[in-house]
Amino acid sequence: MNRTSVRSDVSVAVSVWKALFLREATGRLAGGRAAWLWILLEPAAHIVFLMVIFGVIQHQVRHDANIEVFVLVGVWGFFLVRNIAQRGMDAIAANQALFSYRQVQAVDTVLVRAAVEAFLYVIVGAVLLGALALLDIDVRPADPLLVMWSAFLLWAFGLGLGLMFSVIGTLLPGLGKLIRIAFMPLYFLSSVMYSVSSVPLGLRNAVLVNPITHGLEAMRGGWFAAYRGEAHISLGFLAFWALVTVFLGLALHMRYATRLTAQ
Amino acid sequence: MIEITDVHKRYRTAHGSKWVLKGVSLCIPPKSRVALIGANGAGKSTLLRLVGGIDQPNSGRIERNCKVSWPLGLSGGFQGSLSGRQNTKFVCRIHGISDDLADKLAFVREFSELNDAFDDPVKTYSSGMRSRLAFAMSLAFDFDTYLVDELTAVGDAAFKRKSQKAFEDLAGRAGLVMVSHSESTLKNFCQTAVWLHQGRAHWFDSVEEALREYRESITA
Repeated sequence: MNRTSVRSDVSVAVSVWKALFLREATGRLAGGRAAWLWILLEPAAHIVFLMVIFGVIQHQVRHDANIEVFVLVGVWGFFLVRNIAQRGMDAIAANQALFSYRQVQAVDTVLVRAAVEAFLYVIVGAVLLGALALLDIDVRPADPLLVMWSAFLLWAFGLGLGLMFSVIGTLLPGLGKLIRIAFMPLYFLSSVMYSVSSVPLGLRNAVLVNPITHGLEAMRGGWFAAYRGEAHISLGFLAFWALVTVFLGLALHMRYATRLTAQ
Repeated sequence: MIEITDVHKRYRTAHGSKWVLKGVSLCIPPKSRVALIGANGAGKSTLLRLVGGIDQPNSGRIERNCKVSWPLGLSGGFQGSLSGRQNTKFVCRIHGISDDLADKLAFVREFSELNDAFDDPVKTYSSGMRSRLAFAMSLAFDFDTYLVDELTAVGDAAFKRKSQKAFEDLAGRAGLVMVSHSESTLKNFCQTAVWLHQGRAHWFDSVEEALREYRESITA
């Protein structure tokens, strides 16, 4: 028996990702009484709430999109980014105990949380769409590839934010709290509940600075063939910011690797 | 074989920084059983953490060309909200064990004598139960060199006897790097010793000799 065989770096990383994924998923789905239900209920509650505002109070009618799917896309996409960024920010503190195994690096915990969130949100999206379909609402996307591509870019942008915020939140806890607060106004600046073309011109430029807006509006454009989007919506802009944040996030993790796992 | 070349390590505190290790060079041959001796704060645990790879030196190199355990202590490495079984599974998985996962779980469950509590969250455990789980988990893997930080017998008399026996078996087949404040434990398990003094490491071929030197340094 060759007892001095040492595993390669890649096989160590892969086994750590697998183990962390199972651990995070268990924690997320079985972390308390009906923990899995809350993952589903949070976006569902927001969708119902916004539907009530639009349908009952404002009597708003859209001719280019059905309002249910319109709201669902906005809420789902925004929560995907927000959850990855915020849960990524907590990943290092939550897994502190595991850094006593040298195989586990700080960056692994953030990457795995983003993967778990993607896995959960694909299921959440499918269940919510299924529920709308049961209510006889047309949920078929016109351009499924564009929808998936926008969703992927939103995920990548969330991952980039999560990587950056995890370093910032661990090394500068005060700034971490500010970031958490900043997600509240971001909810209103991300075209979750409105289309950019309905925003007054002066405000429109401000909303268009936010990369999440571009992801959500592009996804709606992919979903509804007749959707009248804003001309300046560009997935390239979102892709650019996804690349920048992922790069900066990984660079920060490289730079501060030892300080992040220090106990 | 573990090679430590000119390792420096300092910790930054609120009032300046303090060098704990100032140029430690060591070569730990395979299957050797080494005692780490030194006063409180001499850097024993720091060196163990560096060898274990969970902390990085400020300068210098550490090469591990064999399977080295994590620093085995009685506290660490558990996620409180998950059960003993889930924690054990996690540690098995990051060490690349997938085929005989069930055997390892059965071993840990039996050795730790946790029985049904094995499936309860670790945060509900008493300190004795945690220690027994930690002890059982460290015995479940085949490492070439074990890093041991004050891992002494825990639990009631029967468990103590059992763990003492298991630890002796382990010391017979693998290398050890051991930190302990109990001189008799060090003499029992180790053949050679490293004395850490003022940030430097001194190698001794016998534990006795190192202990003598260490005692002289604290009385002087």
